[in-house]
Amino acid sequence: MSFVKILFAACLLPAACYAQDDLSGMFKDSAKRSLPVIATFKSTRIINGQSNETLGKNELDFRVGHRFGDMAGSNGGAKTFFGMDNSTDIRIAFEYGVSDNLTVGIGRSKGSGNLSQLYEGLVKYRLLQQTTDNRIPLAITLFGNAVVSAMESAEEEASPAYFGKFSDRMSYTAQAVLARQFGHAFSLAVLPTYVHRNRVGYADMNGMFALGVGGRLRFTNRLALVVDYFVPFRDQASKDFAKTQGMEYYNSLGVGLEIETGGHVFHVNFTNSTATLENQFIPETTSTWTNGQFRWGFNISRRFDLDRKHKH
Amino acid sequence: MKHLILLMLCLPLALGATAQDVYASRNVSLSFFSKAPMEDIDAKTTQCVSAINIKTGAVYFKVAVNTFQFKKSLMQEHFNENYLETHKFPNAEFKGKLLDLPDLTKPGTYTVTVEGTLDMHGVKKTYREKGTLTVAVGSIAVSSTFKVRVADHNIKIPRLVVKNIAEVVDVTVSGKYAPAK
Repeated sequence: MSFVKILFAACLLPAACYAQDDLSGMFKDSAKRSLPVIATFKSTRIINGQSNETLGKNELDFRVGHRFGDMAGSNGGAKTFFGMDNSTDIRIAFEYGVSDNLTVGIGRSKGSGNLSQLYEGLVKYRLLQQTTDNRIPLAITLFGNAVVSAMESAEEEASPAYFGKFSDRMSYTAQAVLARQFGHAFSLAVLPTYVHRNRVGYADMNGMFALGVGGRLRFTNRLALVVDYFVPFRDQASKDFAKTQGMEYYNSLGVGLEIETGGHVFHVNFTNSTATLENQFIPETTSTWTNGQFRWGFNISRRFDLDRKHKH
Repeated sequence: MKHLILLMLCLPLALGATAQDVYASRNVSLSFFSKAPMEDIDAKTTQCVSAINIKTGAVYFKVAVNTFQFKKSLMQEHFNENYLETHKFPNAEFKGKLLDLPDLTKPGTYTVTVEGTLDMHGVKKTYREKGTLTVAVGSIAVSSTFKVRVADHNIKIPRLVVKNIAEVVDVTVSGKYAPAK
């Protein structure tokens, strides 16, 4: 009797498993998939600094960066409409995705620092992309640029803007962007950076290391807070000499609001640095938040897909 | 002893018979197409998993939404980040049943009606759609095309891009199923 029962049950058991109308159990393992983490940052820039993001293949990014004058302090206030009558730097650039991992770009910046009338060529390469399963926990992107100044040479030889030879007009940046998205709302980037300026003033440094940090905190799908901060490692002798000239160097801090509208990414930001290029805002920031020497500015990014095959 | 042998014989028999009732596939193609004044959007994945029980008529589909590949990378980013919010709702799932179940053990082509619930973007909605099943020896080919109204699944299109995305999206399913092991 009991054997018959067991026999009966044994025959029914597998049948019962399959006969259930819920077939979802068959694919319990299908969720554990390794996918690249996308949109660690919304744009290729955090504020001043680079993000780990590159453009998609055949995408063109038209970028405009604008920094106004000091909001407060001796150059700000009501007489300059809180800095809006002045612009410390304006950058217009085209960047293009050669592949999903490689972006190249050209830009023109007014320049704000020792040199002005700057032409920039840049290369950005995505080495590693973070994955959802943490098999790759960190995104790594490499950035480099070369900048040439088209300004007229200064008269006096001691000036950093005196160009004895063409190479005096050049400066370079090499940077790694190490970024990670924590959860979905928060992304963090660390940016070890090296800036080289061929021509600098007395006691200034040609080559300088710096460390940047940047972050993005999402409020909604389209709105985020972005922050970036750069600490240049300037030697004491150089700082001391600058002080004798009545000048002080500061770390660059940017705080901004990022608004994404589908194709456009718009930043409204506040920074103490006057320049938009790494070659200048890292080593040459001489204005400080505490003196009211911060400014509002904006970055606009408009991305176009240039691949004709994608059109219908 | 006699019982035990019977039991041993009976077990694989029972398993074998019932396993053949379920056909499954791990690479069902799923694509959607949206025609809008500004631009057409189409995307595809082949990583949808699905199973059909030909005896009970139970049907199951599941897809990781972020496996959809778009031709434009920015579109793919917006799809995952802004519209489907795949970080919150990683999978889309359909559980349903074939109505008026034909005898799917016999080779042939059958037009069937499936009714069930699509759980997408955190919103469940009942659908009743037609599909075609082509039964051959050892395989079943499945195909269906149906429409999904994005608003039904709480997918919000901002007024700014309303000309870029259609309100109703055509979804196409096709796959070849083999008996589940």
